[in-house]
Amino acid sequence: MSMSKTTNTYNRQNWEDAEFPILCQTCLGDNPYVRMIKERFGKECKICTRPFTIFRWCPGARMRFKKTEICQTCARLKNVCQTCLLDLEYGLPIQVRDAALKVADNMPQSDVNKEYYIQNIDAQLQDGDGTEAAGAVGRSLAANEMLSKLARTAPYYKRNRPHICSFWVKGECKRGEECPYRHDKPNEPDDPLCEQNIKDRYYGRNDPVAEKIMKRAASLPTLEPPEDRNITTLYVGNLPEEITEPELRDQFYQFGEIRSIALVPRQQCAFVQYTKRNAAELAAERTFNKLVIQGRKVSIKWAHSQAKQGTAAKTDRRFDLAGIPPPSAKPNDYFNLRQEQINVMPAGMKLHQLPSNLVPASAYQMYGQPTYAAPYGNASSTAASSSGVSLDSISIPPPPGQVPYPSQDASRMGAVKK
Amino acid sequence: MPKVRRSRKPPPDGWELIEPTLEELEQKMREAETEPHEGKRITESLWPIFKIHHQKTRYIYDLFYRRKAISRELYDYCLKEKIADGNLIAKWKKSGYENLCCLRCIQTRDTNFGTNCICRVPKCKLEEGRIVECVHCGCRGCSG
Repeated sequence: MSMSKTTNTYNRQNWEDAEFPILCQTCLGDNPYVRMIKERFGKECKICTRPFTIFRWCPGARMRFKKTEICQTCARLKNVCQTCLLDLEYGLPIQVRDAALKVADNMPQSDVNKEYYIQNIDAQLQDGDGTEAAGAVGRSLAANEMLSKLARTAPYYKRNRPHICSFWVKGECKRGEECPYRHDKPNEPDDPLCEQNIKDRYYGRNDPVAEKIMKRAASLPTLEPPEDRNITTLYVGNLPEEITEPELRDQFYQFGEIRSIALVPRQQCAFVQYTKRNAAELAAERTFNKLVIQGRKVSIKWAHSQAKQGTAAKTDRRFDLAGIPPPSAKPNDYFNLRQEQINVMPAGMKLHQLPSNLVPASAYQMYGQPTYAAPYGNASSTAASSSGVSLDSISIPPPPGQVPYPSQDASRMGAVKK
Repeated sequence: MPKVRRSRKPPPDGWELIEPTLEELEQKMREAETEPHEGKRITESLWPIFKIHHQKTRYIYDLFYRRKAISRELYDYCLKEKIADGNLIAKWKKSGYENLCCLRCIQTRDTNFGTNCICRVPKCKLEEGRIVECVHCGCRGCSG
């Protein structure tokens, strides 16, 4: 009986012939015109040891050549890049991804079982259009907050750099400038990141990189909602310069009804006030460390309590502001009326002691807002509308910490960057 | 490269003028051939051979075409005896190939994407600060 590969096709482990590799953006490099070399059955897959089609390419200038390391069936089983074995969606190690998604993937690891499993999976994948992931990962692929927080927003091309020249490390590289390898200090030998191997990374066990990332995930900052239930305002910082209010509203209205948005273009921040507290909490939770507007990760904080700000200023006034002369001019009738009535704004707390060109008139109103005991977003809008100053011209940050006197606060003058 | 002098004909006039230089290059070639390969990369081991071959051919080419110091007969004799590489000289006569290092570097069939060797890329077209040392003959750029 003939047993040659060509005649006996029944139940034969099939070799993988692919037209196109499954790769992540980082591995492909920054050059959109990549030339690849394809070799059918060039190597065996480093996981399932079946021959597969390898692809080889250079991911940009001064990068090392890369090639596919595992076969497409193995890659699709875990939804990973064929070269770097990082998740295709998040660019994270398999161990991290599986821990976050709570995927328990019991892939057989003994030879025969593995062959059988791969064969079955292969048959499954034949039915699909070849774009979806198979196995346990394919069934549970859903957007995960933690993963999207941990994921990089841009491809990390440093990963494609040449390896460190081992001759140079020993001090005997004779090639000098021509050396295509990197002349750089190697990692410490006891660095746990040195001990990686492809099988462990694929099966998601004792992966030092994953451990490092999980540690980082555990210590991720969280945003605690303030105790004061009246606060429904979020501070939005690190905004792109040319953002407009409707754009901002588009990002935030999905979490609940917005009472007002105060955009402060000069400080690149904004205050979003919701009508309901739980809408604000939801927005804080969904956007904190997550929201990316025009490629910039926006920083989200809860706005300061207005009432507290006011009382703090009031108590400190007696000590610090004694020698300050009374205001000579009243810039805004509306505001002064409020001040006299409610008497929260300290008498000496006048912004006209600062150079007038630094402080717009509307900023003064911002500081007067504690009088409302309501978040300043609302108050400033009424104040601004009454004095005919548009909201966009407000260029003063939210009331800072417990500073008795506004001009003593360095951050207000732009001296300290937030 | 003449292993043995096959022709019985005596060399043309002027041979005694160029003979010492050719002998010297021949001697260098012998040395390069017998040099141990230890500590060299695989590709590196052939580089001196290509280099001396280029030198010898260039010497004859310069004497005949540039300095016009040798006769047509002597030049033809050198080509016939394979002291100079006629194919390489044929390339040097073409514009753009005046400084070609070796014939392997323009053999596009040997490359994956049907391209010339990296040493054939003009310096201005290469990315900034890139140092080239071609695999075939160790050429560091022979085109502009």
